[in-house]
Amino acid sequence: MGPLMTRRRQLAAWLLRAALRLAPRQTRAWAAAMLRELDFVSGDWSALFWAFGSTAAILRHSAGAAWAWLTQKSKEEAAMNTTGKKALGVTLGIVSALMLVGCAFAVLRIIGVIFPSLNHSPWAYWIAILAPPEAAFVAATILLWRKRGPVAAGILATGLVMALHIGVHLAMR
Amino acid sequence: MKLRLSPQTLLLLDAFLHQADTWKYGYDLSRVTGLKSGTLYPILMRLADRQLLETQWETPDPGKPPRHMYRFTPEGLRFARANAAAISAGSLPQTALGWLQRAWVRS
Repeated sequence: MGPLMTRRRQLAAWLLRAALRLAPRQTRAWAAAMLRELDFVSGDWSALFWAFGSTAAILRHSAGAAWAWLTQKSKEEAAMNTTGKKALGVTLGIVSALMLVGCAFAVLRIIGVIFPSLNHSPWAYWIAILAPPEAAFVAATILLWRKRGPVAAGILATGLVMALHIGVHLAMR
Repeated sequence: MKLRLSPQTLLLLDAFLHQADTWKYGYDLSRVTGLKSGTLYPILMRLADRQLLETQWETPDPGKPPRHMYRFTPEGLRFARANAAAISAGSLPQTALGWLQRAWVRS
């Protein structure tokens, strides 16, 4: 029975030492306090239950500290300079618009392969390139303008550049 | 000051009110109140966070590691005295078993 009891106390000490090692800085003093008190707990079962309860308390306090840190960080991010956020939104809008243009070109290529006669009609080709993406850009800009202003601005800017590019291209011909 | 005065918190505040100026150890508080470590320490941490308790490591004897000690801050003492009625009502033995346990520990 003796060695068994010793093992229980050893397990209790091991558990609390592990909790102490893993505890964040603000919880460490408390974990050390609980570990120190273990020497005064009479009875090996009591020591083991002391360690279980203490470890649970350390984990809860650590989780609370981690949560507080995370919420503090998110508040800091929310209060961050909004220029970066706006730039990110505009970039996202431009990338989305370019992806849409790429998809439109791919669809037109496929249609051109399926219906070769359309390749002989440049106006139809240009209208097909211009109309669907520009319509999508206008719709996306209107829908996103209030909630995602920077993204809408990025889409609109891409749409304008694309329309300008096609206009210049047609004028040069 | 917002602090949830659970029966366990009231028990602990009652224990601190006895000889309020003396430092107390965690395990001794556990024995006096009958609170397990998993209940006792979160309350101690909360009271310390709210500046109601001050904590200190005792000056160790040679060759012995120090123990962590707790006692009321002046603000904590004011808070406890302001809530004395709730504390005395809340710290009454909740069950016959709890009463017996505390009586045995205090004897």
